[in-house]
Amino acid sequence: MVYLAQRQLIMLGIRLFFIGILASAVIGAGIYVMKLRSDNAILKANQIKLESAVADQQELITSQKKDFEEILGANKKMNELVGLLKKDLEDLDKRFNKKNRDVGKLAIAKTESIERITNGASALATRCIEIASGSPLTEKEKNATKKSEINSECPSIANPNYIPY
Amino acid sequence: MSVLLSLILITSLTSCSGVKQLEIFKKEVPREKLNLNKPTPLELENLRWIIITSENAEEVFKKLEEQGIDPVLWGLTDKDFELLAKNFAQIRNQLKITNDLLDKYKEYYEKEDEQK
Repeated sequence: MVYLAQRQLIMLGIRLFFIGILASAVIGAGIYVMKLRSDNAILKANQIKLESAVADQQELITSQKKDFEEILGANKKMNELVGLLKKDLEDLDKRFNKKNRDVGKLAIAKTESIERITNGASALATRCIEIASGSPLTEKEKNATKKSEINSECPSIANPNYIPY
Repeated sequence: MSVLLSLILITSLTSCSGVKQLEIFKKEVPREKLNLNKPTPLELENLRWIIITSENAEEVFKKLEEQGIDPVLWGLTDKDFELLAKNFAQIRNQLKITNDLLDKYKEYYEKEDEQK
């Protein structure tokens, strides 16, 4: 009788043990599922942030491309200007030394005429410095297209519409 | 007891490995603008050049006296005059390049500020 009661008690203990394991498994699984759901929500939020970061990067790349193009354009314009100014300087040199021209001898031979030419050129050169310092171009300077209308000292900066012929 | 132990074990195990939330920090502090004014363009006076030769020297000085100007002149040889003209042309070119460079920088950075 005692043996039977002991056996039943052991069986009850075993049952309780398995029930305990089962209950733990069910509760653990529930907690795990809840954690998975929470992780999933975080992953979704991360995905949205990553997508937004990628979009920002794309925008940055586009903006950088635009900047590079602008920098290249500005460099090109500056190089063109340097080239044109160099040509103005070469033209000035030509005016003094064209075909072995000697300004000194010319001034002795045609003093008044060379004096007049010198003063005219000096006034034009003075205007060139004003333009170079930022003085706005006059309408006459802007519209000059003929050789007789231009500032012969610096047509590249004084007469934007003049095309040398 | 075993139930409690199992619960603690499961909870501690599941909490060990987790997905961390991404934190992206973005703080933009704009630089103060320099805002310097561009220099005023030059307004120069015109010079008067007088050419003196051995033949007209007396006449030139006489004319100066008649006009009430001191009969004294600063002279340049034809070669030095040529050099002076070229020097001025170089200064002018440099001035133009520097001025345009300044405009380009202003245009580039101020346009960027406007876009922001």
